[in-house]
Amino acid sequence: MKPRLLLFLLSTAFYMLPAALSSTAAAEPEGERVKTSLQVLYDFSSTSGPIIKDRSGAGKPVNLVIGGANSVRRSEGSLEVHRKTLIQSGKEASRLIESIRRSGAVSIEAWIRPSNTTLDGPARIITLSENSSNRNFTLGQERDRYVLRLRTTKTSANGQPSLDSGNRTLSPVLTHVIYTRARGGLARIYINGKKNVEKNIGGNPSNWNGAYRLALGDELSGGRPWLGTYYLVAIYNRDLSATEVERNFRAGPAAEASPELVARQKITAGERLFDRHIAPLLSRHCLECHDSSTRKGKLDLSAKVPALAGGKNGEVIIPGQATESSLWKLVESDKMPKKRAALSKEEKKRLREWIDSGATWAGDEIDPLSHVRDKRAGGTWLQRLTVSEYIETVRDSLGVDVAKEAREILPRDQRADGFSNTAYNLTVDLKHVESYARLARIIVEKMDVLKFSARFSKKQRLIDDDMRELIAKMGRWVLRGPLEEREVVSYRGISTTVASAGGDFRECVELMIEAMLQSPRFIYRVENQRGDGQLWPTGDYELASRLSYILWGSSPDEELLRAAGAGKLADREFLSAQVRRMLGDPRARRQSARFIDEWLDLGRLENMAPSRKLFPGWTRELARDMRRETLAFFDDVVWQQNRPFWDLLNAQVTFATPPLAKHYGLVPLGKGLERYDLSAVPGRGGLLTQGSLLSIGGDEASMVTRGLFILTELLRGSVKDPPPGTDTTPVPARPGLTKRAISEKRVADASCGGCHSKFEPLAFGLEKYDGLGSRHEKDEHGNPLREDGSIPVPGTKEPLHYKSATELMNLLAGNERVRETLIWKLAQFALGRPLFGSDRRLVGGIYATARKNGGTYQDLMAAIILSDLVTSTRTEAQ
Amino acid sequence: MQQKPLSRRTMLKGLGGAAIGLPLLEEMLGSTAFAGRQEIPVRAFNVFFGLGIPAPLQTEGFKGVLEPLEPLSRKLLIMRNIDQVRCDEKGINAHFDGASGAFTAEAPNGSARSGGPSIDQVIRRGHYPRGLPPGMVPTLIGGTFFRRSRVSRFVHSYNPDGSVAATIQEKPRDLFARVFGAINAEKDSDARRLHLKRSVLDSVVGQYRYYTGENSPLGAASRARVADHLDRIREYEQRAYKMKTTDPRAPELPERSKLKHGGEADPGGEGIDITLEELTTEWRLMADLYALAIQCDRTRFGSLTFLAAGERIRLKGDYRYAGRKIYQFDDAAQHNRSGSGGCSHEWWHQFDPKKKNEQLRAHAHMKMREVAYFLQKIDGEDSREANGRTILENSLITISTESGDGRHSNVKRELSGVFHAISSAGGRFKTGEIMDVGAEGIDLYNTLLGGMKVPGRLGPPKREARPVDRIRA
Repeated sequence: MKPRLLLFLLSTAFYMLPAALSSTAAAEPEGERVKTSLQVLYDFSSTSGPIIKDRSGAGKPVNLVIGGANSVRRSEGSLEVHRKTLIQSGKEASRLIESIRRSGAVSIEAWIRPSNTTLDGPARIITLSENSSNRNFTLGQERDRYVLRLRTTKTSANGQPSLDSGNRTLSPVLTHVIYTRARGGLARIYINGKKNVEKNIGGNPSNWNGAYRLALGDELSGGRPWLGTYYLVAIYNRDLSATEVERNFRAGPAAEASPELVARQKITAGERLFDRHIAPLLSRHCLECHDSSTRKGKLDLSAKVPALAGGKNGEVIIPGQATESSLWKLVESDKMPKKRAALSKEEKKRLREWIDSGATWAGDEIDPLSHVRDKRAGGTWLQRLTVSEYIETVRDSLGVDVAKEAREILPRDQRADGFSNTAYNLTVDLKHVESYARLARIIVEKMDVLKFSARFSKKQRLIDDDMRELIAKMGRWVLRGPLEEREVVSYRGISTTVASAGGDFRECVELMIEAMLQSPRFIYRVENQRGDGQLWPTGDYELASRLSYILWGSSPDEELLRAAGAGKLADREFLSAQVRRMLGDPRARRQSARFIDEWLDLGRLENMAPSRKLFPGWTRELARDMRRETLAFFDDVVWQQNRPFWDLLNAQVTFATPPLAKHYGLVPLGKGLERYDLSAVPGRGGLLTQGSLLSIGGDEASMVTRGLFILTELLRGSVKDPPPGTDTTPVPARPGLTKRAISEKRVADASCGGCHSKFEPLAFGLEKYDGLGSRHEKDEHGNPLREDGSIPVPGTKEPLHYKSATELMNLLAGNERVRETLIWKLAQFALGRPLFGSDRRLVGGIYATARKNGGTYQDLMAAIILSDLVTSTRTEAQ
Repeated sequence: MQQKPLSRRTMLKGLGGAAIGLPLLEEMLGSTAFAGRQEIPVRAFNVFFGLGIPAPLQTEGFKGVLEPLEPLSRKLLIMRNIDQVRCDEKGINAHFDGASGAFTAEAPNGSARSGGPSIDQVIRRGHYPRGLPPGMVPTLIGGTFFRRSRVSRFVHSYNPDGSVAATIQEKPRDLFARVFGAINAEKDSDARRLHLKRSVLDSVVGQYRYYTGENSPLGAASRARVADHLDRIREYEQRAYKMKTTDPRAPELPERSKLKHGGEADPGGEGIDITLEELTTEWRLMADLYALAIQCDRTRFGSLTFLAAGERIRLKGDYRYAGRKIYQFDDAAQHNRSGSGGCSHEWWHQFDPKKKNEQLRAHAHMKMREVAYFLQKIDGEDSREANGRTILENSLITISTESGDGRHSNVKRELSGVFHAISSAGGRFKTGEIMDVGAEGIDLYNTLLGGMKVPGRLGPPKREARPVDRIRA
């Protein structure tokens, strides 16, 4: 590999790092070309062969093929076209096209030397087109002027009106020319680093044809040859600023990376190695015994400082010297981890590579839970509508209530990673397909289809133009965004089939709606996921759907779709205003209730069957009352009182029916679900003191289950499953031996304590609550119960001490990690996927923003939506 | 490579008939003449081809574009100078109203209805007032076509109220299922509903297929999820719409059509690219199956379409006839246009009697070759009936198109001189001539109805009839 190419590939790799994804070009070193958002780059560095390689490193290369070898002269860094020829991409430039279609912005750059000032047509310098009348864009020469034609929804298929640099702006000398167009429409031509002309080119490139090829030297269909020399051609999917244009001009026509950049990416490669391989490896194999709470051998490998400091025997990691590091020696010889599977060859290789390359850390501490999950769960999975989303979407988009039928017919969504909207688990079976077909029929039978269709078109005729208009407008609404031509054609096929079978307009519309209801764009939230492996802005209509499904659990309304169509959602202020508007809608309240119901798995209360012997007073209604209590409490804190979200853990209020009030030892107020002030009631107040949560420990009020809930759901901690063969039969309490005492024995046990010490103490403060949440001072054997204890918070060395359940609730509600974890949960439900280590930085930002604004549910949701988690999409490289 | 021609005999005996999963059963012949029946049933079929033959070219007889009909010339009456001007609907060009007038002699009544019945349906009702024998497909409509903006561009059998007489089968597989599947005439409404449901499912399958394909915007995991969904849909399709055949030994369905159908066959009127081989392979399979349906006496009425009125295709391919090369089709390149501007349709718009019209001639010649292909299928020894004549001779086969001139600038010229040809219908009409009829289509059709001894007549009752007796035998 040539050094120049190697340098470039390395520099490209640097820009693919997550840390750099959201950085702006301003952060790039002065004196170098702008790389951020670069989509294709041709530096003409090869001197032979028919291929001109795309050296952008952005996803699948868009290489060009020289049509006539005898028509060009090549030297390192340039290609002269001296006779008419076409240099075109081997295939459609789909990735490039999609990236610009998505961003709505573009920069087209060339370092060239035109051969003369007589070429016209305009002669094609760079073109992304089909023929002389259909293009996405063309940079051309019209005698002594540069001309740029760009297709948008407001310009013609030929990209007119064009932007023209004016007379005598082109001469046969080495020239740097850049055309930029911002998402808002402002288009500019810069020549040799200086702005030449600007004009507003309205519309957006959503109508770009994905089947066009990229070409140099001529139109794809011929007849518009350009002659001259190319030194560099680059295309970005954003508008470069005037400063960036000037930087590229100053960088000159060569595309090489500087030595400083190579040094920088060396460092970041180390960070990448840590983030991708070492943190997960340490989480899986080491932190069980060597995190901040267990610190076996006084070694804490969960954070940079203590890890490099070492344990009781001194340093274990010597940066740059794996063979001198005891960590490596113990792992290499399989002496570590103890009593667990050894590291694989690949893992060992990575560990050694990491230490030898300087043991670079990315971030301060490792968040184990985000690394132990199966990475596949966080991939870009298509999200199928959940049953609830399906019902709400049908209601909002078609005005039909199919809740009863859908709940009967559709298979239930299964929980995964704590929620039933987890995309990777939203699979489809034959039953779904049958159900969607049946429901589609049921829905159209419930509709007044003629009235519905009249919303989109008054022309109820079967002729082509009328039907196409109806399909386009109706489809945009039902399928949550404009239809592509192929879709219009497909639905038009149904209407012609109906017509040719003697059907009428009503039947046509019915069957088209049935087809739409079964289409992937209705059943799934289809988004573009392909690109160059980097973060791309979420598409306008995709963002509209994300907003509506996150905040409402349903489809976008007309205002959102209109805003998406106008490209307004890219404006953060506008987006923020939309979020506020949507949070004021009753659907937002219902969606928040779905979150709490899902997170705490309140549905399980329906199926509770506690021992009649232990709980003779239990009734099914009591379980329902517990669910109602939690939902009403949540609504009160989040919507009525508008309190900080973490107040859910210690708010001194609850809601109870008379039977539930008695169950809690409260004096019943009224006959229904009433609000109770708990400020004078010891041990009550907050989610963890409610029956719905206290009952997760079963009849025996398991310390293990309760402790694990707090560890995983509030502290974002994790432990491994017990080793195979472990006797997990609960040891019953007896006179003189409380559950806590049994638990403390496990914590003290050498073989169990490593893990149990991380979570069982978390439940000590709940000992006074029995399996159904009633509070007692003594257990059934007369043993006195306690509620003091300490919380081992992952990532902190010293545990937090408390004397009562109330103090425990206050500690949890005030703890930063707990608060962040609540955001993790909200974000997980919003995104439909578990979060990972790479999301941590973003969640931290969300927390900081939301806390500054007050920390309410509304603040948190706004911060989540305005973050890159929602406004950006991680693409897969094609 | 073109499909190997399938004779009825080879189909029945399973020789060389891989395309539709033979063998068929001799038992399926049922009560036809082949099993010794003496009575020849009354049959009437309309054969439509799109875009027409300009009147000046019709005068060239078999030396010009009609050459492929010459081998059948003794069994056909070719008629010139027939006008359909009364079918004109203001503001609409002949592709639509001329096509609607073919076999009905009426202007269209809305976008999906004709102005009156087609002649095959009048004859059907006249001869079978109590319906056709049980199990028979009452009306079989099939065709190979793409343009579909209005129904009468491709459907050519209509009920008296102007509604379509049956659902058109545009895929060989569907036509086969309609003819040889278990759903019979008594459950015709079910068959219709089933057909429509299948079209919904076809659309749904197409959508899912897109998201699993090369142009899908989805990532690998999501594509796999959609592919999984698509598999489930196919499983559902198998279970919900599986065809039950009339006999456990009946042949399997032909393979799925490889051509575009439904909406994607007519992408916004822009036309499609297709090779001559692709076009004729599917058409000939369709023609074979349609002919087989007649031979097996599974149907006696209906219509068959080879390319729709105003068809928009960009044809490519080497066109040969009788061992000589006629033309090299490459519409888009020759027009130097893409989209609708590159379609063969434009040759009709550009017709100029003073010029060679080389491309139009080649296309029209090819259409006659393919029409002749079907006619020959019902004219071979396999189709000889008890009276010694073939099905072609014993049936009323009416061949027509939408216009007599493709230029839209003059309605009268456009709807005049519309090509027509008929077979003898068991000796009721003259054949073996090219006749300058000089009549309106409505009078021609009513003369045909009179010759077939049916009471009904087309057109307004008070209209003075002008029988074209010259065509009667």
